[in-house]
Amino acid sequence: MATPAFTFTPSTFQKLHPAEFFRRFTTEGVRPDGRLLDAFRPTTVHHGVISTANGSAMVRIGGTTVVCGVKAEVAEPKLDAPDQGYLVPNVELSPMCSSKFRPGPPSEQAQAVSEAINRVLKESKVLDLKDLCIEEGKAVWVLYVDAVCVAYDGNIFDAALAAIMAALNNVRIRKPTYQEGTIKVSGGSTATDENSFTLKLARTPLSATFAIFDTTLTILADPNVTEETISDGQISIALDETGQLCGVTKIGAASCSQSAMKDCVQSAKKRTQQLRNIMNQQ
Amino acid sequence: MSRLDRTRTSAHQLRPFFSSQNLLNRADGSAQFDFVVGPAEVKLRDEKLDKATLEVVVRPLVGLPGIKDKAREQAIRETLEPLVLSGLHPRTGIQIVVQTMKDDGSILATAFNATILALLDAGIPLKSILGAVTCIVDSETNQILLDPTSQELANAKSTHTFVFDNKSSITSNTESKDQEDAVEVATLYSDSTGLFSEEEYFKCAQICYKAVQAVHGFIRTAVQKKLEKEQQQIHS
Repeated sequence: MATPAFTFTPSTFQKLHPAEFFRRFTTEGVRPDGRLLDAFRPTTVHHGVISTANGSAMVRIGGTTVVCGVKAEVAEPKLDAPDQGYLVPNVELSPMCSSKFRPGPPSEQAQAVSEAINRVLKESKVLDLKDLCIEEGKAVWVLYVDAVCVAYDGNIFDAALAAIMAALNNVRIRKPTYQEGTIKVSGGSTATDENSFTLKLARTPLSATFAIFDTTLTILADPNVTEETISDGQISIALDETGQLCGVTKIGAASCSQSAMKDCVQSAKKRTQQLRNIMNQQ
Repeated sequence: MSRLDRTRTSAHQLRPFFSSQNLLNRADGSAQFDFVVGPAEVKLRDEKLDKATLEVVVRPLVGLPGIKDKAREQAIRETLEPLVLSGLHPRTGIQIVVQTMKDDGSILATAFNATILALLDAGIPLKSILGAVTCIVDSETNQILLDPTSQELANAKSTHTFVFDNKSSITSNTESKDQEDAVEVATLYSDSTGLFSEEEYFKCAQICYKAVQAVHGFIRTAVQKKLEKEQQQIHS
């Protein structure tokens, strides 16, 4: 009598042995969602989605959707930089976008992504903060940049950075006049070129993120949420429009060789160029 | 430039601290207190059935922990996960607390180095040790400076922190006369910010890799000295 063999439907197998299920695909050079190992998901960018914000944008990378709004407020400058405004980026990952996030204070992931984006914006000198000065020592513009994830399907860093850059490009701030301790902003119902100004961005860094799998020694581009959960580490590479690197991060997983990093940089160059074309088209 | 170097480290809270001379030729004012508790009991919701749960807490010099510290926590934890033989202690927790005592640049690299010494001291089984070093590309001279102070960091065009383990082999091209190009390095953790070219990035990786060999040597010597001292105390 033949011994009964265990057979699973693919979905059951995926739930019981997610890593093994995934490996069966990657050894053939594809992933469960049909993409090749180095393919990025379809991306769309929409500008000016929030009419009440000074600048806004929405970016979709596959299933991950991030909406970013920029609000400009007047504040007193920091004591050690009296002629500079400041940028306050924040990435929000709430239960609204995925059940893996719990309500309450920002999770470690949200804080780490916010900090990573803050460093890219600050260290690659995207914006000259002196441009945000209204009256030295008295009043400056502070830009609250809030990137809210409305649907989470992995790769929040790329989506959030793209949304933030698109929103900053979209910002219009009314020209202020400073008079004896008060700020007057020009009236009129619509912001036009005469009564408002846009931000002069020195560069637009955009990024490409890859997931590292130790057991199969593969590096996949643009992981979705299932791939992210079973991955061992991540590589993120940010570049500006001139091809200069603005940030490289490799975190988690075993040691990664230089040649693998070089391949990622090449792939990131192509991807960021593609992203730029998408951003400039719409 | 040859100045004396001191990296003060400390391990498990009941052990005495020790300070050692560092082999890197830079004045490094960063010192750090780091303690490890584990393997110990872990909250049910954090319990992993087949591995130990690693928890890292980073406390800054002043003030409450902020997002920078959370980012460092994630960096240290994610880097240590593949190194700690957590399968040997399932359903337990290993807590690592990193407290900054003095901040004079290269904080993350110092945190990594202190953490690995603390783990060694606590006797947590590890696959390999790691060594970390930070370097910058100076904005004026375009020189690559290792282990920058806070002042040097302020003048940096780009800042790079690398962590290497002591297992990845060096495949050197013996035909090449220029030793600088010979090493193929494998990075455990890499974090670079600022504006830099691909060549600068890989050159920094090479330079940091060579510097990290000194860090590995220092860790070995530090552990040896500590064991010798303990042996003396037992036998005296």
